[in-house]
Amino acid sequence: MILVPVTYKGGIYRHDEIIDLIEDLGGYIIQKHIIAQEVVLQALVPKEDIDLIRKVGKPLTGEITPSPLVGTEIAVVTMSLEIHHLPHASCDVAEYIRRFGAKTNMVGLARGFGKRIAQLNDEERDVINEHDLAVYLLGDFETCIEQKFPVLRRGIDVPIVLCGGPPVEALRAIIDPPVDGYVGGVGRFMHRTKEAEEISRLDDVVAEVTRVLDRKREEMAKDPLSISPARLMDIISEKIDDIHEVLSPTPITVQMTGLRVKLPYDAYASRLRATVVDEGVTIGDLAEVLPSRMRDYILVRIKPFSETNMMV
Amino acid sequence: MEAVEYFEVECPEKAGGEYYSRIADVVLLDHNLIRVIQKLHIFIDPRVPLFIATGITRKLPGTVKVRDFSDVNRKERKVTISIGDEAYLAPLLRILWEKFGKERVEQPDRFTIMLDIGDDESEGLEEIPVFDPSESIYKDLIYALQVIQPEGFKVRRQYYGNGRFYLVASEDTLPEDIEDMVREKFSLMGERL
Repeated sequence: MILVPVTYKGGIYRHDEIIDLIEDLGGYIIQKHIIAQEVVLQALVPKEDIDLIRKVGKPLTGEITPSPLVGTEIAVVTMSLEIHHLPHASCDVAEYIRRFGAKTNMVGLARGFGKRIAQLNDEERDVINEHDLAVYLLGDFETCIEQKFPVLRRGIDVPIVLCGGPPVEALRAIIDPPVDGYVGGVGRFMHRTKEAEEISRLDDVVAEVTRVLDRKREEMAKDPLSISPARLMDIISEKIDDIHEVLSPTPITVQMTGLRVKLPYDAYASRLRATVVDEGVTIGDLAEVLPSRMRDYILVRIKPFSETNMMV
Repeated sequence: MEAVEYFEVECPEKAGGEYYSRIADVVLLDHNLIRVIQKLHIFIDPRVPLFIATGITRKLPGTVKVRDFSDVNRKERKVTISIGDEAYLAPLLRILWEKFGKERVEQPDRFTIMLDIGDDESEGLEEIPVFDPSESIYKDLIYALQVIQPEGFKVRRQYYGNGRFYLVASEDTLPEDIEDMVREKFSLMGERL
């Protein structure tokens, strides 16, 4: 069964039927938003059942659209949180990627500005490495990007999509060793992106992010995970009741290779490790349960099949 | 930037220069400063790195005096000031408190100030300068230029007055001949510092 990421938008009336349907078909609800009279569901559903969901949703004014980034967590790395970079550029990109289903976190570097003085500290490095992908938003000058980028990428082992003011070819030429994706024409700007041309550049960012993540998925398919992150999320929310007391919009954030569980590490890590997934198999057998550098959350990294020899 | 007589961004990187001319345009528009500026020349060299902004302002509105926004009525030792524009009330009160002392300045409501002063003291009351708009405009202008400049340029020198202003900024120590460079940028606009 192949699960596809989709977004369902529809009226609030009888939306629980859609949720039940997706769950009965073997899909997973990653996130649910209720905005006034509308419900937005981000879900993974079986490919062959999309038409069925569309048919059931139609009388409820439901719409189902593919969202390639559902189930990913992306770091949008901005050089600072000063007026020079906020709210436009940083927020516009972060918000736009979110519309395609990704969970984006903005990482504002403490000392990311400047050419010679730019730095990346260990906490920032570790936080960025906890994501599936990092989108770096740099400035308008080639000279600056060329000099500061090697410092800012030091120790980052997740794929990087680099955005900057100069055209793509120029970015490609100055970055060595190459990163996974480049988007030109998205540098520093001080106005809201609302013209068609500017929006199309944000589309380029999303296309590049999708392309890089698709390649990562292909690579992961060669040695699949021992359990799908979405399924593990379901199990945790079923077996650990306290997660329902957490007030974050996503108490469990689904990533491509794991989960971020928003419960304190010290109190819950051992309970989480001992949670039974299937007969005789616990989460501790299938995944590493690590302290996250983001607050005191728990990071669950699912081990691949080659390490555990188990597939649940 | 049509309202500005001369506007130029000088930069060795063409694409970067174009972005910065848009940034300058948007920032000055957002801060409501386009009308104030007559000429503006921005020079950015990311290789050094160095940022120089030089410019000329239009004729700024003059100092606001008491008679510009209020009426003064004298009745023996009672002087009543009726305020028309509340915006200048706070600076006026501060001046009056300093001059006559708080015990002689009474404010029964938002638009009235009553003073207990003699004729000799009340003379020239209407002519007291209360607020100098040019000072706040220059401060706003320098702030806007700091927003325009690339971030991280922490070493700065700024100047304003006499209808001229400039801001130079860099990450490193400013070069010794910086004043000459500023003068050169002024001469590009056909002006002198």
